[in-house]
Amino acid sequence: MGGTLAIPGLALAGCGALTALGRGLEPLRAAIQTNASGLRITEAFAARGYQSTVTGRVPDEHRMPSVSPGATDADALAFHFASESLRQALASLPEPISAIPAHRRAFVLSTTKADLLAFERVRRKESVSPAARRHVLPALLAEDLAATFDLRGPTQCVSAACISGLLALQQAAQFLRRGQADLVATTGVDLLSHFVLAGFTSLKSLDPDGCRPFDRNRVGLSLGEGAGTILLVRGDLAPPDGWRLTGWGTSNDANHLTGPSRDGSGLALAIHRALAQANVKPEQVQYLHAHGTGTPYNDAMESLALQSVFGEHTPPFSSSKGLLGHTLGAAGILETILCLVAAQLELLPGTPRLIEPDPVAPDSLLRQPRPAPGLRCLLKVNCGFGGTNGAVLLEK
Amino acid sequence: MSTLVIRAASHLSPAGHGNHRTGLRPWPAEFQTSLEQGDLENLQWSWLFSSDAQRFARMDWLSRIGLLAVELLEANFDQADPALRERTGVCLESCTGCLTTDARFLDTPRPSLFTYTLPSTLLGEICIRHRLKGPQLCLLTADGSGAQALSEAADWLETGAADTAVCLCAEALSADGSTALPPAPNGLPWPAWRADALLLGRGEAPSGSVAAHGSVTALCRKLCIDKPSS
Repeated sequence: MGGTLAIPGLALAGCGALTALGRGLEPLRAAIQTNASGLRITEAFAARGYQSTVTGRVPDEHRMPSVSPGATDADALAFHFASESLRQALASLPEPISAIPAHRRAFVLSTTKADLLAFERVRRKESVSPAARRHVLPALLAEDLAATFDLRGPTQCVSAACISGLLALQQAAQFLRRGQADLVATTGVDLLSHFVLAGFTSLKSLDPDGCRPFDRNRVGLSLGEGAGTILLVRGDLAPPDGWRLTGWGTSNDANHLTGPSRDGSGLALAIHRALAQANVKPEQVQYLHAHGTGTPYNDAMESLALQSVFGEHTPPFSSSKGLLGHTLGAAGILETILCLVAAQLELLPGTPRLIEPDPVAPDSLLRQPRPAPGLRCLLKVNCGFGGTNGAVLLEK
Repeated sequence: MSTLVIRAASHLSPAGHGNHRTGLRPWPAEFQTSLEQGDLENLQWSWLFSSDAQRFARMDWLSRIGLLAVELLEANFDQADPALRERTGVCLESCTGCLTTDARFLDTPRPSLFTYTLPSTLLGEICIRHRLKGPQLCLLTADGSGAQALSEAADWLETGAADTAVCLCAEALSADGSTALPPAPNGLPWPAWRADALLLGRGEAPSGSVAAHGSVTALCRKLCIDKPSS
């Protein structure tokens, strides 16, 4: 590796999002500036006895298909969410990116469950459109999205719990590094459903009042949904002042399926791998966007991992789970978009819904947004079931 | 100059179980019919190994056959240097993933089932048993052939991201789970249950060795099934 062509570029102009805050990046900008939360009580999930109905649900007005009429069935919600973010990202691409031919445009999809709502309807023996039924299988959702958006290069579908989004960014970077594509659309999507609410309720992992990441009194997470797309392009095609994905790393705790390692060593290993690949020292990282789910064990583990890697000089860090909820397979991509949007605003994001910081968390935990002119190096991390950890490093 | 080499291969399917050394061995006769019909409920660790696997009974079908396939590689990770285990990656590819468990969880939402509604949970089971901490990747593909997983695992070795890689392909689709699926491409049936695993490393390739490219399923067939039993 090495050399200009080997370093994939990230074009902020090539991002799209559909979240609890609505469509596009503008609602994200406003929420970052005001440290707002997009979590709400969700009536659709009431009366089922779930541990919490506070979620980051995409608003009703954005749940109807907006792709060209007839292009998809009305019930193919995962396809619609992902399409919406892809459409935004691919619109108005500057030269020379817009001239990249279709066969040099690849696609990587990140999802944990694809069209879980269609799966639920099939199991209830309700009517399901042929399109939605295809998207029960994540690989077919990826194929259909790639075909619809004329991304005729390689297609890949990543599903590795909550690090899926960061893995998808890593895989997109690999496509570019290996010369398999000049542009890679990297999309994360997951849907809220009775399935996931019942699942996290069964694990007693939800905060009835909404998550409070890194709070002394945190008791659990809040689920969210949505889709995000980031376009990565070959380094020499990227804007010269744009962000570049320069390092990535994964690891496994080899410890427990649903609980993080108690010492944070697995996450620390993933961070060290990302830093080593980018040849960046820990003290050069200016901001870290945490996984920060709001569960007692996750946030404590992350605090230990940060102290392990950065010692007493942990960079400012925060979590956005109180803003969008935990969007599972979309989290890595949507949270990376949040970092990029905040950087464009010359801000470090705060931690919405945090009330009283956990005393074991490093002092650099950000409760509120902070001005950050000249930000040039940030790290994004996620952790997931199965003991997986992921980290990506962005530089400009 | 060292090249990418296959150190071990294994295979499980209704036809039997084995590795590159043993060739294919039959399942216990009393379970042959149920296994051929795709029922993995009674699949036992003790049929294949005398060692212990305490977690096996509580695992879902995908994790059971995936873990068995990795054990059949006889990699002896436990005796390996911890540094090597830290540099051993696991790359999984599947088509239908954990759809069987998804269907069961919807019928009976229990926490022990929810844990297995992610295909990547199998990565965790493998890493916990063998204490592997290297790179992780779980890919879902329409054919589940393992061609993508093999390519990515080979890339880890070529770029130095890992020194050793377990490359695994697994399907564990029950008849119940298959009812949720759309028609399969080309009118073919969705893959029956099977697991294929390769242990990849770098080294001098012995004469007559098989090149590590193509698909995991094809390579494991060549190395484990087509090979006469010894």
